[in-house]
Amino acid sequence: MFKLFSSSNIYLFIQQLIKFINSIFFLILLIGLTFALILSPPDYLQGDTVRIMYVHVPSAWIGLACFSLITLLSVLNFIFKIKNFYFINKSLAPIGLLFTCLAIITGSLWGQPTWGTWWAWDARLTSMLALMLFYIFYILTFKFLNTEELIIKVSSIIAIIGSINLPIIKYSVEWWTTLHQPASIKITGSNSIHSEMMLPLMVMLLVFLLYAALIFLMKYKTEIIRIKKKNIKR
Amino acid sequence: MISNFITMNGYGLYVWLSFSIVFISCTVVYFKTKKTLKKYEKDFLAELQTLTLEEKNKVLATSKIAQQILTTSSKVN
Repeated sequence: MFKLFSSSNIYLFIQQLIKFINSIFFLILLIGLTFALILSPPDYLQGDTVRIMYVHVPSAWIGLACFSLITLLSVLNFIFKIKNFYFINKSLAPIGLLFTCLAIITGSLWGQPTWGTWWAWDARLTSMLALMLFYIFYILTFKFLNTEELIIKVSSIIAIIGSINLPIIKYSVEWWTTLHQPASIKITGSNSIHSEMMLPLMVMLLVFLLYAALIFLMKYKTEIIRIKKKNIKR
Repeated sequence: MISNFITMNGYGLYVWLSFSIVFISCTVVYFKTKKTLKKYEKDFLAELQTLTLEEKNKVLATSKIAQQILTTSSKVN
């Protein structure tokens, strides 16, 4: 059973998974873009600017999901000392940073025609900016700290402190009066988004998830090779 | 019809800029990640070449990863 999770088997599985994602990615991307840019209707209030939602919302979700996962794995690594979690986090952080930056930039591009401003120090926007800063500090620990033990300690502390920001991002639109609209999609309760917009959003989310998985797998594979190279003469 | 698609009823700049920024940054990150992966594979093979034949065979016999990297690189070359 444990042999199944050996680095060799994980490596082979990653190879297969990368090949699989590469084979389906462009087809799903094409479907997603067709829905997002052509087939989905304009919003009755926001017009065609609503199409920005198809890149903005999945970016924000993935940015948040990556940090949540990093926090969870950091806590588990802190308790159980599972080194693999450290490599997973190291591979996840740049993906989270990329999508958080994209969420902020596309949000700003959506804000200008909708609110009349590129940026406001509003609770949702500011908390997303804070998330981006936490990602930057987190990644910097890998660049500037020397020993692996110290990196694990410092990065875990950053992740745990940063996780306080996650519920603030989620509930900022309910706790404070913000420019940002309240959540249209809820896990519990009814959604206020029309199915003609929901479908493209879900397809674009799938595209973004596949892309994130692809980058993660390539980064994780790089980490495995790096370790193997280090141990080659041992 | 096509003109409407491009101008997006006056919001074309914002919509196309958003999609372009996402597309360009994702493409750059993809190729950068792929390049780093290839570099590490190359470095690993270079390290393997520094070993004696006996050591090399031992590594290849015990490590599926080393076998895979060697196979992939010989396919590429």
